[in-house]
Amino acid sequence: MNYQIEKKDLPALLQQWMQIAQVFAPVKVENFTQFKILSNTNELVLNGPLNTRYPPKSLFLPQSEVLLKYQDRDFTTTTLDKQQRIIFGIRPCDAHAVTLLDTVFDDQDNPDPYWKTRREQTTLVGLGCNEPRETCFCTTVGSGPFDKLGLDILITSLDDVYTLEVITEKGAQLVADLPSLKDDNQQQMLEVQDRALDYLHPAFECEGIKEKLYNIFESEYWQQVSQSCLGCGVCTFLCPTCFCFDIVDETQRGERVRNWDTCMFRIYSQEASGHNPRPTRSERTRQRIMHKYAYWLDQIEQIGCTGCGRCIHYCPVGIDIREMIGNARVWREA
Amino acid sequence: MHNHNHNPYEPMPMHIARAYYESNDHSLKTLELVFDRAADREQFFSSYNPGQFCQLSIFGKGEAPFGIASAAWEGDFVRFTIQKMGTFTQAVHRMKAGDCIGMRGPLGNGFPIDLWHGKNLVIIGGGCAFSTLYALTKHIQHPQNRPDFNELIVIYGARNSGLCMYKNDILSWHERTDLEIHQAIDIPEDDWLHHVGYVPDVVREVAPSAENAVAVVCGPPIMTKFTLPALTDLNFPPEAIFTSLEKRMKCGLGKCGRCNIGSKYICKDGPVFSLAELESLPADI
Repeated sequence: MNYQIEKKDLPALLQQWMQIAQVFAPVKVENFTQFKILSNTNELVLNGPLNTRYPPKSLFLPQSEVLLKYQDRDFTTTTLDKQQRIIFGIRPCDAHAVTLLDTVFDDQDNPDPYWKTRREQTTLVGLGCNEPRETCFCTTVGSGPFDKLGLDILITSLDDVYTLEVITEKGAQLVADLPSLKDDNQQQMLEVQDRALDYLHPAFECEGIKEKLYNIFESEYWQQVSQSCLGCGVCTFLCPTCFCFDIVDETQRGERVRNWDTCMFRIYSQEASGHNPRPTRSERTRQRIMHKYAYWLDQIEQIGCTGCGRCIHYCPVGIDIREMIGNARVWREA
Repeated sequence: MHNHNHNPYEPMPMHIARAYYESNDHSLKTLELVFDRAADREQFFSSYNPGQFCQLSIFGKGEAPFGIASAAWEGDFVRFTIQKMGTFTQAVHRMKAGDCIGMRGPLGNGFPIDLWHGKNLVIIGGGCAFSTLYALTKHIQHPQNRPDFNELIVIYGARNSGLCMYKNDILSWHERTDLEIHQAIDIPEDDWLHHVGYVPDVVREVAPSAENAVAVVCGPPIMTKFTLPALTDLNFPPEAIFTSLEKRMKCGLGKCGRCNIGSKYICKDGPVFSLAELESLPADI
């Protein structure tokens, strides 16, 4: 079922939702946008840069999360409050990424209680991308500017109205009172969705990339492509599909905390014996790329990248994953 | 592990029942831990398989993974032998009987023991990595388990006699008829009655038959590196050679990403792999 809402009526709808749930939406934080709990609909930024700098994975896997508090031998584990949440304005690539992370955190054997609880409590209301930016390559890797995967509702922005495509039962409950989508708007929506594809060009060919990467595992390619890398890790911290974390005890606060971590740091894989399987940036760059473009494929037959472009946009030395993959495809040993 | 209300990051409260140095130079210490809660004990022993590991937890020091060095039938305790290396293991070495410690586990797959029924087993260990092989040997030694396996050969090397672990027990293995034990040290010592030399050389000297046999190898990387070709020369196929990997691990649940090699997580898919499986993974070890 599809619905529509006049743009001027959106604040009222959000306020309705704010009565029943925490509503997260992109708001301006310094020079960027970031998902925050919306307290005033004036703060909403829907026409800013397409993607928030921090990926919304942080709403399910916070950058820093207390697992337990301890004092001497006693401890209490963190339990999450019951709290309905709506993430409004999440981009399709980021919602797609959340479904990839579900395979890690909501597995059969050991579901992560924090991830699982937050996922169950959250409705994802996505906003499609009318004008993908230059660093976007979602369609190359199997997502798209109006990809519905992982979303409960998909919103398309037209001139004066938003269209709302209901994807799940969870989503249906939020929009049942809205007017149905008019035929001419339906038509316009499809046109907008179609036109967005014009902004996106194939960044590289995915077919056979896994095999190629395995073939050049031991090649000099990795040394070459990692030469300018500073090892800052921003590509992984801001990546919507990167999920590595460290668990450390914060002794001053008496807390055991898990923090986002990155395979781009030397100490990440350093063992107590001094042995490090990834001692230089070239092995570490290889790990980042191969995890996304080979290992995920082996594990769940999906590329572990949704083409959001953050790693390209925010890299301080301009390393472009599209070039890295593209060049890997044609790499020949000298 | 299938209790879905359970928080897998929560350590079980344990007490140290016994703590003693395992080596003359005090670099190795053995802890035997007992459960504070009966439910934890039942849960643990209902699923424990030799070759698995646990995350030990000391508040303020964090967690670190250690292989389990005891068989379930030995008693209601869980044994670990821990080498003093970094801040966590130094803290462990300062602990004594009666102290509290946290534990998560058992984690990982353990040895595929059921697949080895009816086989000859060649157990090859070096250094403190022998601890999980000790657990495996103890498991097999139990009269109820022993008939499941055929011949049992144990080859265990240490740098010197002072570093030999589980000394008194292993001394008694030389009298047993249900296994053949070969002990080795790297350099000659007075009064040493057994092999002198590196483990790979001892393996070649003992030359166990590959006929209907499985070899299990755990040791420092350099020992493993040279033992694998020795076994290959003795006609052990890669499918019949098993080893256990160690990695820096945090969660032990296949989530924190740290122990990833290729499509595998060492903590969840391992730590035990056949050589055939390892050969199919990228050389990222």
